[in-house]
Amino acid sequence: MTITSPTVLKLSTISRSFGAVKAIESVSLEIRRGEVVGLVGENGAGKSTLLKILAGIEQPDQGTIEINGKLVKFRGPQDALDAGIGVVHQEQSLFTNLTVAENIDTHNAGRTGASRYGFQDWARLNREATVVLDKIGVTLDPKARVGDLTFVDRQMVEIARAVRVDDTANITPLIILDEPTAVLEQAETAVLEREIRKLREFASVIFVSHRLDEILRICDRVLVMRSGKLVSDRRTGDITKQDLFDAMVDEPAHIETQPRSTAPFTGKAVVEVRALTRKGAYNDVSFAVRPGQIVALVGASGSGREALVRTIFGAETHTAGSIIIAGQPVSGWSIRRAVQAGLAYAPAERKVEGMIGGFSAARNIALVDPGKVATGPFLRLRRLSQMAQSWMTKLDVRPNDISRPLAQFSGGNQQKVVLAKWLHTAGLKVLLLDHPLRGLDVGAARTLNIQIKQAVENGAAAILIPDTIEEALEMADDIIVMRDGRVSARHDLRQNSHITLHDIVAEMV
Amino acid sequence: MGSAIGGNHDKNNRAGHAALSASGGPLQHFIKTHKAPLSLILAMAVLFVIFGFLNPRFASVLNLQNVLFQISVPLIIVVGTTMVIQMGSIDLSVQGVMAASGMAWILLSPNTRLESDIGIWAWPVALGIGLGIGLVTGVMYAKLRVPSFVVSLGTLYVGLGIGILLYGNELLPTLTNDVLARWPTRLTLGLPNSFWLAAAIILAGVLVARYTRLGRGLLAIGNNESIARHSGLPVNRYKIAAFAIAGALSGLAGILATMQLGSGSPDIGLGQLFTVIPAAVIGGTALSGGEGGVMRSALGVVLLIVLNNGLVLAGVDPDYQSAVFGSILIVTIVAVAWPQRGRLKVAK
Amino acid sequence: MTDNSTHAASASNTPGTDKPPVFVRLFKAGSLNTLAPLLVFCAMVLVVGVLNANYLGPFGIYFVTASAAPILLVALGQAMVLNIGSIDLSNAAIGLVGTILIALTLPTLGVSSIFLILLVVTLIGAVNGAIVAYTQVPSFALTLGTLGILQTVALITSGSDTIYITENRELLSVLYETQLAFAPLTFWIGVLVAVIYWCILRFTILGQNMTAVGKNESGAIFSAIPVRRIKTLTYALSGFTAGLAALAILAQSGSASFSGLGSNLLLPGIAAALVGGTSISGGQTNPINVVFGALTVAFVPTAIQASGFGAEAQSLVYGIFIIIVVALTTTRSRDAVIK
Repeated sequence: MTITSPTVLKLSTISRSFGAVKAIESVSLEIRRGEVVGLVGENGAGKSTLLKILAGIEQPDQGTIEINGKLVKFRGPQDALDAGIGVVHQEQSLFTNLTVAENIDTHNAGRTGASRYGFQDWARLNREATVVLDKIGVTLDPKARVGDLTFVDRQMVEIARAVRVDDTANITPLIILDEPTAVLEQAETAVLEREIRKLREFASVIFVSHRLDEILRICDRVLVMRSGKLVSDRRTGDITKQDLFDAMVDEPAHIETQPRSTAPFTGKAVVEVRALTRKGAYNDVSFAVRPGQIVALVGASGSGREALVRTIFGAETHTAGSIIIAGQPVSGWSIRRAVQAGLAYAPAERKVEGMIGGFSAARNIALVDPGKVATGPFLRLRRLSQMAQSWMTKLDVRPNDISRPLAQFSGGNQQKVVLAKWLHTAGLKVLLLDHPLRGLDVGAARTLNIQIKQAVENGAAAILIPDTIEEALEMADDIIVMRDGRVSARHDLRQNSHITLHDIVAEMV
Repeated sequence: MGSAIGGNHDKNNRAGHAALSASGGPLQHFIKTHKAPLSLILAMAVLFVIFGFLNPRFASVLNLQNVLFQISVPLIIVVGTTMVIQMGSIDLSVQGVMAASGMAWILLSPNTRLESDIGIWAWPVALGIGLGIGLVTGVMYAKLRVPSFVVSLGTLYVGLGIGILLYGNELLPTLTNDVLARWPTRLTLGLPNSFWLAAAIILAGVLVARYTRLGRGLLAIGNNESIARHSGLPVNRYKIAAFAIAGALSGLAGILATMQLGSGSPDIGLGQLFTVIPAAVIGGTALSGGEGGVMRSALGVVLLIVLNNGLVLAGVDPDYQSAVFGSILIVTIVAVAWPQRGRLKVAK
Repeated sequence: MTDNSTHAASASNTPGTDKPPVFVRLFKAGSLNTLAPLLVFCAMVLVVGVLNANYLGPFGIYFVTASAAPILLVALGQAMVLNIGSIDLSNAAIGLVGTILIALTLPTLGVSSIFLILLVVTLIGAVNGAIVAYTQVPSFALTLGTLGILQTVALITSGSDTIYITENRELLSVLYETQLAFAPLTFWIGVLVAVIYWCILRFTILGQNMTAVGKNESGAIFSAIPVRRIKTLTYALSGFTAGLAALAILAQSGSASFSGLGSNLLLPGIAAALVGGTSISGGQTNPINVVFGALTVAFVPTAIQASGFGAEAQSLVYGIFIIIVVALTTTRSRDAVIK
């Protein structure tokens, strides 16, 4: 690979907004043939939107895409595939009940090769699959059922499928690997790294990872995104890990840390986990939260913090360790028991898990604890309406219409109603907040944060999974940093307020 | 919606676990991958021994020929049923399609009503009715996005209605052509013709499942419909094709059953659904789609009919058939669902 | 969830503080859906009236409401099950078994037979529900299996014969023979159950939870709603109303048999629920409207006769009915995978 290799992909001033939020802003970049380019950035920096545009899933509002010097427009995923762009997603998209060869061939959808008049030519299908597998240097039986393969082998099949496109035309495949190592063990990661080195002989690679060591080891060049912009584009030989942090983290003039009291939390722990473990998700995690305390769990993708919080809420199970509620270890933990014990959970998948979209805002608020507005089994609709009305006003939900189906509200207002639902429940002790500000505009985010703080001041505790480290620094009393399922650092912001974004990012990756 | 996401996740996880246990000799591998058919064959062997012991008549050539005669109709149906279930849908219309096609066929063949015999053309017309009903089901399901169980429940009654209307208030139509009436029972190479017809359909079904884009596409849809769509598979066309084929096969089964009976009846397909769906399910075709195969379902049919035949010969009231098959269906689906239970799983 | 269901939610499920005047509410988006079952029924009556006004006389009304009663009762149970996002293919068969068991025991046990058998059918429903809830199997497959078992139960208990109620027949026939506003008591029992179910859905915590499960089961699980208990209870209700349908059938015919009156209520029951505005995808039903759905469905044979066709067209019309209604009312979202 030399600097004069032909350009495979060229993006010029690509922008994409979602509502008022600018997901990416005027991104321009070039990828040359045979190059392995790393892409890093914090959560919400715009990486995933950029990848979606390259995969044809999202269309840019502005800017142009050139492939091999030709302007292209992707109307759908198929167009991107035809242009030689193959994305290997974090969540695998293979048919586990079909063979390796069939999976490699799926994107051709019978237009070429091993299919004629609707018939499947197995000999040819397997032969072509073998060629592709040989090319990327993987020995896999093309007849094997994908469901029988190990995770990393399945990733190889995905890579093979992405590479497969170059057979039909003389184009250089561009393989995008989206956090491929997040769920891999160390040995498997080594296999993948070898694979990427092989790929560069005939393809270009964009490698997305939160592990900076890996990026520096594997890539020729690293792109850093921050707040939707491409802020750094440098060769790996010229930079250090520290440089990457500096580029990734937007150190604001000053972080708005609220004045915190330094008095230790004296209350009894309302939730404590001891050596909590679930294989493949989180490992040996211990911490406690007390009334009035906000603990933020920060970590990159694969840190296991989401699964941990869902386990505390009883939605998922653990394999070892214990959950202790109000001093008592629990067994047979479930969502219903968690809620009875005063736990509340605002899920990241708000529309699916957090609310009943077809119900009015009022009924959503009354859902968990309707007892307050009922006499025995009977709902008092007037009282229900009044109760809902007061919450809607208090949280400034717009439009202030309690009978409107919740699905018809904006994301921020939906989240306010979700919070109201939990704040309404009697005996609320712990708020579990899983990406509570995701997709919210600034105003809604501020209202929500104020309400959370108020609930905590009134004696609740909170475990927060923030979108950004800034959010953690602003909201939390304690920060627990997780990396690959383990706690990598703890910070008590009330004892030590000098902690910086840099430090935390370094502990995450 | 949530179920789809969760479901895929489950499938991948399970596959991951399977990978760990995939090591072992080729024999173990064979046993592992063919667990469902092997256990069916084993169960059948056990049944043979027990029933042969209970009633020596069970193992007689005559009875076995009778069993083959009995299984041919459900064998033909189960090919279509399997294709539909493999993609995660369901076709409840079997009985209706059989009524419509069977009745149309006998009225257009030489029969005691002597009015509308069109000879060989009765076949394409009757099969066309089955295909047509299947097409309607498929189009309603794929294009109008109505759940398949309720569309096919509707077409079940549409078919029944067509059958009843054709039957009218007149006398029972009975086949007058001896060649046709005897064809299903006549032996060729020692086996009844009905069975040969069913065997040919099974073979065709196996070939379609293995060697056509359609057959593989149905499996892909059943495994993960969203990925299938994103990969550019013609998902709707495949869905419609599967229902159309299932309809045509139910039609053929209706004709064969009518021929076997020698006269037309709107109830010709009564109870067949209770044979083919449990058969497919015990054959390892998961109701959630993506698994199983025609051959396994066929084994399931054989097992159920042998069971029924043996029970009848052992003196059990034939009225128990639907209860036995219904219980087998329940036990099998519960056994399949039990290890996959989850606190967040959504079951409709 | 999708638009259709949300409209109906605003129309039928939502409390509001200051409600606009009735005529304004009638013209709000969802209201047409709420009124549709009534309008369909009126249209049907109108057509029949134009074809042959004789069918609309007092005897005509009595006849239609009498035949609507068992359909309505089966449909109400089905509507409650559809409302939680499941289906009960066995409830008509539960009713059939109920008729046979009551016909067998009424002569000896008298009134207690009725209560005993109602308890039995409610338990059968509860078992269905418990299996669906605790093993998480698809409800249509499970209830198809139960349907098979119940068919055998019906055959065996009846000995494949018609069982005539020899004694105590008047205990039930009074329900059919007593008229109230041209309709037999059996029909009014159905209406009463409809009103009770409507009240449950609208005014109780249980009803709110049921609808929540049907609209979004994941959301319900994460809101700590006792989903399994609710499913079991809903299927029990379905079994119970099927038992009431058995009473209506026996009141009318005085006899029970595997293939007699009431042996083919599954499809009319589902059709009545759907024509009554119940969504097949769950989370939306209005039991009061199911009354109109049942009347419409019960009117079909009359309408067929009035239009000069034979009674044989009934299955065909029911089948077409169900397909059209489902096609018109199914809620569709772009990304949802429909099985």
